[in-house]
Amino acid sequence: MPLEPPVRVVRELTSRGYNADREAVTLLAGADDPADAVERAVDEAPADALTLTADHVRGVLADATPDAEPTGAGGPSDSDADSTPADRHTTSSTGTETTTDRGAEVTTPPETKGVERGGESARDANADLRSVDVAGDITGESTGTGEYKHFVATFRDRYDKLSKKLRGRVNHRPTDALDSMPGGSEAAVVGMVNDVRSTASGHWLVELEDTNGVFPALVMKDRDIAAHVDELLMDEVIAVEGTLSDDGGIIFADDLHFPDIPRTHDPSTADRHVQAALVSDVHVGSQEFAGEAWDAFADWLHTPEAETVEYLLVAGDMVEGVGVYPDQDEELDIVDLYEQYEAFSERLKDVPGDMEIVMIPGNHDAVRLAEPQPAFDEELRDIMSAHDAQFTGNPSTVTIEGVSVLMYHGVSIDEVIAEYPGDEVSYDHPHRAMEHLLRKRHVAPQFGGRTRLAPEEKDYLVVDEVPDVFHTGHVHKLGVGGYHNVRLVNSGCWQHQTEFQKSVNIDPDVATAPILDLDTLDVTVRKFV
Amino acid sequence: MRPEDEAYFESLESDLDDAFDVAERAKRRGDDPKPEVEIPVAKDMADRVENILGIDGVAERVRDLEGEMSREEAALELVEDFVEGTVGDYETDAGKVEGAVRTAVALLTEGVVAAPIEGIDRVEVNANDDGTEYVAVYYAGPIRSAGGTAQALSVLVADYARSLLDIDEFKPRDDEIERYAEEVALYDSETGLQYSPKDKETKFITENCPVMLDGEATGNEEVDGFRDLERIDTNSPRGGMCLVLAEGIALKAPKIQRYTRNLDEVEWPWLQDLIDGTIGEDAGDDEADGEDGESDAASDDGDAEDAGDEPDGPPRVDPSYKFLQDLIAGRPVFGHPSKEGGFRLRYGRARNHGFATAGVHPATMHLLDDFLATGTQIKTERPGKAAGVVPVDSIEGPTVKLANGDVRHIESPEDALEVRNGVVEILDVGEYLVNYGEFVENNHELAPASYSPEWWVQDFADAGADVQALRDSPFADLDDPDADQAIEWATEYDAPLHPAYTYLWHDVTVEQFVALADAVVDAEREDGDLALAPDDEVRATLEALLVEHRQREDALYVPDWVPLARSLGVGEARSASESPSGASLREAEDLAKEWDSLSADARDWPNAMRAVEEVAPFDVQERAPTRIGNRMGRPEKSESRDLSPAVHTLFPIGEAGGAQRDVGDAARYAPDMADTPGEIDVRLGERVCPDCDEHTYEATCPDCDTWTDPHYECPDCGITAEPDESGRVECPRCERELDNVETQTVDVQDEYRSALQSVGERENAFDVLKGVQGLMSSEKVPEPMEKGVLRAKHDVTAFKDGTVRYDMTDLPVTAVRPRELDVTVDHFRDLGYDEDIHGDPLEHDDQLVELRVQDVVLSDGAAEHMLQTADFVDDLLTEYYGLDSFYELDERDDLVGELVFGMAPHTSAAVVGRIIGFTSAAVGYAHPYFHAAKRRNCDGDEDCVMLLMDGLLNFSKSFLPDKRGGQMDAPLVMSSRIDPSEIDDEAHNVDIDREYPKEFYEASREMADPGEVDDLVTIAEETLGTDEEYTGFGHTHDTTDIHLGPALSAYKTLGSMMDKMDAQLELSRKLRSVDETDVAERVIEFHFLPDLIGNLRAFSRQETRCLDCGEKYRRMPLTGDCRECGGRVNLTVHEGSVNKYMDTAIQVAEDYDCREYTKQRLELLDRKLESIFENDKNKQSGIADFM
Repeated sequence: MPLEPPVRVVRELTSRGYNADREAVTLLAGADDPADAVERAVDEAPADALTLTADHVRGVLADATPDAEPTGAGGPSDSDADSTPADRHTTSSTGTETTTDRGAEVTTPPETKGVERGGESARDANADLRSVDVAGDITGESTGTGEYKHFVATFRDRYDKLSKKLRGRVNHRPTDALDSMPGGSEAAVVGMVNDVRSTASGHWLVELEDTNGVFPALVMKDRDIAAHVDELLMDEVIAVEGTLSDDGGIIFADDLHFPDIPRTHDPSTADRHVQAALVSDVHVGSQEFAGEAWDAFADWLHTPEAETVEYLLVAGDMVEGVGVYPDQDEELDIVDLYEQYEAFSERLKDVPGDMEIVMIPGNHDAVRLAEPQPAFDEELRDIMSAHDAQFTGNPSTVTIEGVSVLMYHGVSIDEVIAEYPGDEVSYDHPHRAMEHLLRKRHVAPQFGGRTRLAPEEKDYLVVDEVPDVFHTGHVHKLGVGGYHNVRLVNSGCWQHQTEFQKSVNIDPDVATAPILDLDTLDVTVRKFV
Repeated sequence: MRPEDEAYFESLESDLDDAFDVAERAKRRGDDPKPEVEIPVAKDMADRVENILGIDGVAERVRDLEGEMSREEAALELVEDFVEGTVGDYETDAGKVEGAVRTAVALLTEGVVAAPIEGIDRVEVNANDDGTEYVAVYYAGPIRSAGGTAQALSVLVADYARSLLDIDEFKPRDDEIERYAEEVALYDSETGLQYSPKDKETKFITENCPVMLDGEATGNEEVDGFRDLERIDTNSPRGGMCLVLAEGIALKAPKIQRYTRNLDEVEWPWLQDLIDGTIGEDAGDDEADGEDGESDAASDDGDAEDAGDEPDGPPRVDPSYKFLQDLIAGRPVFGHPSKEGGFRLRYGRARNHGFATAGVHPATMHLLDDFLATGTQIKTERPGKAAGVVPVDSIEGPTVKLANGDVRHIESPEDALEVRNGVVEILDVGEYLVNYGEFVENNHELAPASYSPEWWVQDFADAGADVQALRDSPFADLDDPDADQAIEWATEYDAPLHPAYTYLWHDVTVEQFVALADAVVDAEREDGDLALAPDDEVRATLEALLVEHRQREDALYVPDWVPLARSLGVGEARSASESPSGASLREAEDLAKEWDSLSADARDWPNAMRAVEEVAPFDVQERAPTRIGNRMGRPEKSESRDLSPAVHTLFPIGEAGGAQRDVGDAARYAPDMADTPGEIDVRLGERVCPDCDEHTYEATCPDCDTWTDPHYECPDCGITAEPDESGRVECPRCERELDNVETQTVDVQDEYRSALQSVGERENAFDVLKGVQGLMSSEKVPEPMEKGVLRAKHDVTAFKDGTVRYDMTDLPVTAVRPRELDVTVDHFRDLGYDEDIHGDPLEHDDQLVELRVQDVVLSDGAAEHMLQTADFVDDLLTEYYGLDSFYELDERDDLVGELVFGMAPHTSAAVVGRIIGFTSAAVGYAHPYFHAAKRRNCDGDEDCVMLLMDGLLNFSKSFLPDKRGGQMDAPLVMSSRIDPSEIDDEAHNVDIDREYPKEFYEASREMADPGEVDDLVTIAEETLGTDEEYTGFGHTHDTTDIHLGPALSAYKTLGSMMDKMDAQLELSRKLRSVDETDVAERVIEFHFLPDLIGNLRAFSRQETRCLDCGEKYRRMPLTGDCRECGGRVNLTVHEGSVNKYMDTAIQVAEDYDCREYTKQRLELLDRKLESIFENDKNKQSGIADFM
């Protein structure tokens, strides 16, 4: 421990937004496990407190259970060797699309209605076993000021990070070096897709770019890899292996590689049986908001059956927002933006107070639309203060008791579905689109299309570390699957079919809550309609 | 035709012939691309059709058929001629079909628009999968100008030709059917279609249409699915095809069916399915959409009846908000839909009115801060969508409240200018004149009419008054009587009260009415004025009624108060039994109400109308039951048409002339010491002299002055080829298509010097002579530079076809005074006018004369420009062609009687017109028939005039761009005389009576259908084909002058967009008829927010561009620098362009009290901008900063 305990305590407290008396700091630093003590002191701090008092800390320390386990530090290596999550995941991902081996429970059992609230639940007792860590969050780190060089920096960072993942597999030659290689030689290049064209004879011309320039690759239409060309999105990074043409001006592709997730990925799991509810797209404020379904969901969370659901992750679109599309005010139940968030906060209060909540914003939320999106600002956080939820950016990697969950709202899913030929990647199978994003190791590669990019120092949208779970929303369709042992969950929504959805024939999956077992990464889908 | 009309046309044609002779002689002497005038004259539609198409024999056949059958039937009949080969000279089946289809489209568009040449690319005969053949018609974008019916019929014609030629039907493949559905939907979303067919419909049409609809790609978007199909050349949408399928076949199915029924060879039974909607629900929608107009009208009728039956409200038209959509910043709203204070509908046609125009009082134009001027377009609530504004001062002007508290009617533009600075509120913007024909044209139910003097006088006559005697009497003014007389007439004859004293009782409530009556009774009298207690409610009532008065601290003074008091049922206190005369009431000591309480009927009525009727001692009519909302559309236009950058000579100089394309610079251009100055490489056509075999790029041989021919040589095999009949050139050996264009080195220095020398000019005769970078025509033959030198000298510029053009907004006029046109009665008599509209001999400058159909009035700017052009033409004739001058004009008056061409965009036919005078308004006034002959109406459209001799001498098809649409907007043919039956039939709906009967006004109060009253008002259609078809255009309203009001709209005189918007919002505050918050909301909604949101979106997905070489990149290159030149690459959308309106928008939302929703949207956007453009790290201090 490089720092003195009091300093660490103060730092820890400030990171959670608290100040403390000098005496309180001393008390906390002197506790057996200062980290745990801070945790509990904060948890039990009065809602309106900004400064922790010594009295308060004494009370907390007196309550401390002696057998409390230290929290944090649940690294990937901690996962149990004896559990065989990998196998099970594989089965479930190849199984039916909607849910897992345990099958979906379609409705809340009636007896769970009207559960008495307020009593100490089992969940509460586990409070000190919990941990939530956030990485890859743009919030407070947005240094871009919209200049050209920031765009270049973003794309360079993307290329650097993703090309590293491919260089091990091919012998990359820079594009300017390819120019000087003799015709007919074997070569490989790692590049960002700059352009994809079909030639007059139906072959594909893929232009690849690295930090030196561009080089064209020709994919013959009769090759197997030609099928992959359809999957390509602009500005993703791939590797091409093949033979240079006689004049050396083009490479005939034999093989095409995506950065991808290793098949051998071994996900981490929690040390205990604990669950997380993965929801998104609540859309409070919309006339179509499924309030009664949300009530049923909140009620269910109070039942003994849901006792182990200690975490609630919300992947964006808390509210319907204002000005998202023309004449939106005519379809709003709550026209005032802040009242929408207040109403959402009320809805949030209905879930058990001892749950850990993590939220990222979506495209309907009151943050910038360009990705990465920072978390809600102070004003909105104050409104959504119930349950002391954690707010983080879109995307973010949230590690819960060792299980890393990549949370991303999912605007790019529209694009993947639109660009992908054929039916297997469609709104009925949103997790198939998620697979493609993981293959590309980037949540929204295509620039200039539907997704918007905010230029930053680095590319926050790269999937640098392999997550254990990938959680998205946005398309209002339920999708559960797996890909190379990564659990994929696209939550449904809490908004009934809108006029717009009707016009484009989208039938949303309303009021579905995928429940993730953090110890096995199995998913049970609960429906509340 | 009357003899005087015949004489008129003959005089035009003889002038035209004279000019033609001169031009023909000149052309044989110069170095023009062709040694003859290239604009053929067409005497009628048949001629135009033949000339536009260039197919011999069509005109004769069309004339034969015209007498016997309709134009549509004639088009089908002609198919047989083409197939048999009696018309046209085509060897292939495809050629025959093509000729028939083009002719059909030309016929159906009266040989005016460019659709038949530009809208149909070609016809091919291709193979079906089963080995049979099918016909494919390739449509292009300009087919749009043909309209849906002609588009649909062109398919039918192709099919008829196909069946006569025994070619099989088109058998589409499944993927092709799917492709059409995707493609039409894509085109609809990208470009937009008037009617969007459902996928099922598109597939159904594709499957069943016996002819393949094909065409050129018109966009850059590509279809996602069904790409790279064998029989479809492109992956982009084919715009022409989409138009024909959706707006033609799908929308006009019932019309086509009418013709298929008559043809045995053509059977399209599937049309019935399309019409019936048996292709599922989709087709049902289709029908509903297709008959939108009718069903709307039907439901309107229903509403009207409901309203009529409804006991508690008079018949009123429903407010329509459509015109407010897409409000533009800087273009103000003058009235919200049907809102009090807005324009009051008055029926009638002024002499400068009709044909999609709206008459507005010139005082109103000034008081609307000059935003309206003669010719300004307005978007209007009814009866049409848009109208051109014309000044009419015989209707009522606006009513304003001044800073000193005076509420005044303003009846002259002079008064308006005088009080303008003191206006605090515009209570009413005055009357709005609309002619009956407008309602016919738009098939709009009649809206209840204002009570106007012309209606009242008929009521008065019916009540037994000797109107004629009163009209002649020096003591009575039927239009504007004094109060005592008005009351006397109303009581004595039992006629309704004169409109001058009829207040707007329907705009106040019964409570206001009662309160006002009480206030009048309680009022003091001072110096003959009624002094009412200064109560807010009473003041508001007086303002709403439009009673002239003075608002002072101590009292509200109403000067001419007797009719008001009598209307309120207030009489003399002493002798309440007898109705007092005006004079006695004025002298009365005390006033008293003649009534105690109102009946239930009057109390329950939604306004005070019933109350007035009950208590007033005479009949009182609804003064202004219809208010018409509107807003500004386009400003009027009068300016010369210049290419950008402007061009004096169509001679290519590449980049050597710099950005200004300066020929002088190019002549001295030498990038290197070793270069010869002025030698420039440009793309030009290679030509060969038939006599001496000299090769040149010039139209005539420099050695022997013979006209040269294009020289086609195959670059591969060196064989010389000749063009075939259709003008295509193929190498006979390798079958590749050839052109004669090659990069040639031109000595611009020599060209320039010899041009100057040949016309005897020095370089200081002009500032700069501008050429073009390159030629756009297929044969790339340059214009002789001498013409450019003279153009530069006279400061006129050339359009792409070599002509000098001047654009003006179109407005109609049917009768004029020589004086207002700044000419004399002598000019008019010289032009053959000898009578005024009353049949009296023409002797004075201010007599009103009926305008002849091809006489035009030029704006001052146009006249000035034509004078310069005439000087240019004279110089050209004398110095270049070596002939005598043609015009020799010294002053503007000399232009009177000269001929011009009128020509509208998207058309290919010019109409000959004769200048008769000038107007200070920025518009071109002409007869409605003249505008209709160019296929324009007057709702804000603009088109151009060219000086006749300039067109004859300088126009050449050889200059026209070799690209789609290049033949549009070029005078491929000219009409020398207008046949009213062969023009856009919208002009036939102009009404021509001198007054409307009382029954008409009464029918309007019942909101009759315009068709129900067609026997009451005569429209021009009724004189078609008679001797009277060129004459008898009466009008109901005169105007002192056809260019009253501001000379230019404030929109054009105000500087920046912000100034315009400030003025727009400022005006909205002053107008009672406008809800300023709504205007601000709409400006934010339609202008600021789309701009902010759009730019923000564009920012985060933008292209970048190299600052040095201009290369564009879809995404920032990883190298950072330009991959082409290593130069600096930068963004195309910057922070500054994204947030330029942010602060203003927030300010406007605040100042005009916009909704919280709107404010939040702006606030949210502001934060989004910050989030992108601000660095978190050096913005604010967090808690960590002080730890």
